[in-house]
Amino acid sequence: MSMDERSVVAEVRRVTLRELRLWVREGWVQPAQGERGPAFDEVDVARIRLLCDLRKEMALPADALPVVLTLIDRLHETRRDLRDLTKALEEQPEEVRRSVVAGFRERRRGSYRTDGGA
Amino acid sequence: MSDDPYEILGVPKTASHDEIKKAYRKLAKALHPDLHPDDAGKKAEFQAVSAAYGLLGDPEKRKRFDAGEIDASGQERPERHYYHQYAGQDAGRRYDPGMGAQEYEDAADFFSDLFGRRSRSGGGDYREAFHTRGPDLRYHLEVDFLDAVRGAKRSVTMPNGKAIEISIPAGVHDGQTLRLRGKGGAGFGEGPPGDALVTIGVLSHPVFTRDGDDIEMELPITLDEAVLGAKVDVPTISGTVSMSVPKGASSGRRLRLKGKGIVRASGKAGDQNVRLKIVLPDRMDGELEELAKRWREHSDFEPRKELRRQT
Repeated sequence: MSMDERSVVAEVRRVTLRELRLWVREGWVQPAQGERGPAFDEVDVARIRLLCDLRKEMALPADALPVVLTLIDRLHETRRDLRDLTKALEEQPEEVRRSVVAGFRERRRGSYRTDGGA
Repeated sequence: MSDDPYEILGVPKTASHDEIKKAYRKLAKALHPDLHPDDAGKKAEFQAVSAAYGLLGDPEKRKRFDAGEIDASGQERPERHYYHQYAGQDAGRRYDPGMGAQEYEDAADFFSDLFGRRSRSGGGDYREAFHTRGPDLRYHLEVDFLDAVRGAKRSVTMPNGKAIEISIPAGVHDGQTLRLRGKGGAGFGEGPPGDALVTIGVLSHPVFTRDGDDIEMELPITLDEAVLGAKVDVPTISGTVSMSVPKGASSGRRLRLKGKGIVRASGKAGDQNVRLKIVLPDRMDGELEELAKRWREHSDFEPRKELRRQT
C-alpha cells in the first residue's frame, strides 16, 4: 500500500494537510520518497493515527511530542531487540540456553536485592 | 431507518453540541414510550434517537465517530491497526531512534558489537561514536505492469539528491522492497553508507493480470472462430504469438501458452492462461440471424440441463 498526502488526509480525517506536512518536516513521520512527493505506507498511517491520539485526544503539547515519540520508539526498538535475541538464543544448544537463563535470573535476583535495600 | 446518527437526530454534521442536545430533547419529548404506551414504531424510533444521542452527545465519542474510528453503534472499527502492531515487526525499524553505543559501554565487547547499529558492516577499526553507518533512505517507485513482469532498469533521484540506477528484477511483486546496499545516506567519519530501500508499487494493466508467475488474460473471439476453430494472434508480455483456438471452443475455456508467463532470472518460467470469450458484433447482420434461426429449428442442444438438475 502506498498513499500520497491527500489520500492520507482523506483516510485519517483527524489530520490536516498542514499538520501532516509539519510532522514530516519534523521527522515524526518518515514516508518514503516517491516520484510525485511523499509515499506513505501502513506503518506511517498507523503512526499518524498515534500522533493524532497523542496530539488531539490527549492534548499533548507539540514540544513534548518528540520526547514521547523517542521513548515510544526506543521501547519498540528494545522489544524487537529482545525478541531477536531470544530467538537467537532458542537456536542454541540446551546447555547454553540453560546457562544463559540461569545467569539472567541470578542478575535479576541480585538487582532486586539491591533495589529492595533489604 | 437510517443508521447515520446525524440523520436520526435530523442535524447537520456541523451542528454544535447545543444544537444536538436541543434536537434530541425535542425528539425525545415527541417519541417517549411513556407517552405512547402501545406504539412499537415510536418506541423503536425513540431507542434509535437515544443511541444516536449517546454517540453524538458525547464530544469524545462524536469526534471518534467523525474520524471513522467507531461505527454508529459505538463499536471500534476493525480497520484500526494500532501503531504498536507495526512497530513490533521489522517494518517498524525505520523509526528506531538508534541506541548510542555508550549505553552498553560496560558490557562485553561482543555485546556492544551485537547492538552497535552504528558499526554494522564496517571493517575493523572504528570508534563507534565518531564513525557511524549512514542512514537508510526509503524510496517508493511505481512501475508499469509490463516493467514489473519483464524486469526493467530505472533511474531515480533519491531524497538526498543522488541519482541511482535501479534494476527491477522480472516478476517483482506489488509492495516488495529492494535493498540496494551502500546506496543510502553517506556514513559519518569512516562509517559505511546506509542502504537504499526501494518499495515497488505495481500499476495494473488493462489486459493482463497476474497469478504468481502466470499471466492471465481474456481473449475475445468471434462466433465463427469458436465454431470452426482458428489461428489467432494473442498478445503476451513478450510480444504477439499465434495460438490455435480449437474447434467448438466455448466462452470461458482456458488455454495455456506454456512458458509465456514471467521468466525468472533462474530461467524458470510461468505460463500465460488465455480465457476465451465469444463476442458478437455490435450490430447483428441478417445473414447471422438467418443462420441462427435455421440452427434453432433442428438443434436439441441444452446447455442449461446441468443447471436445472443441480438447482
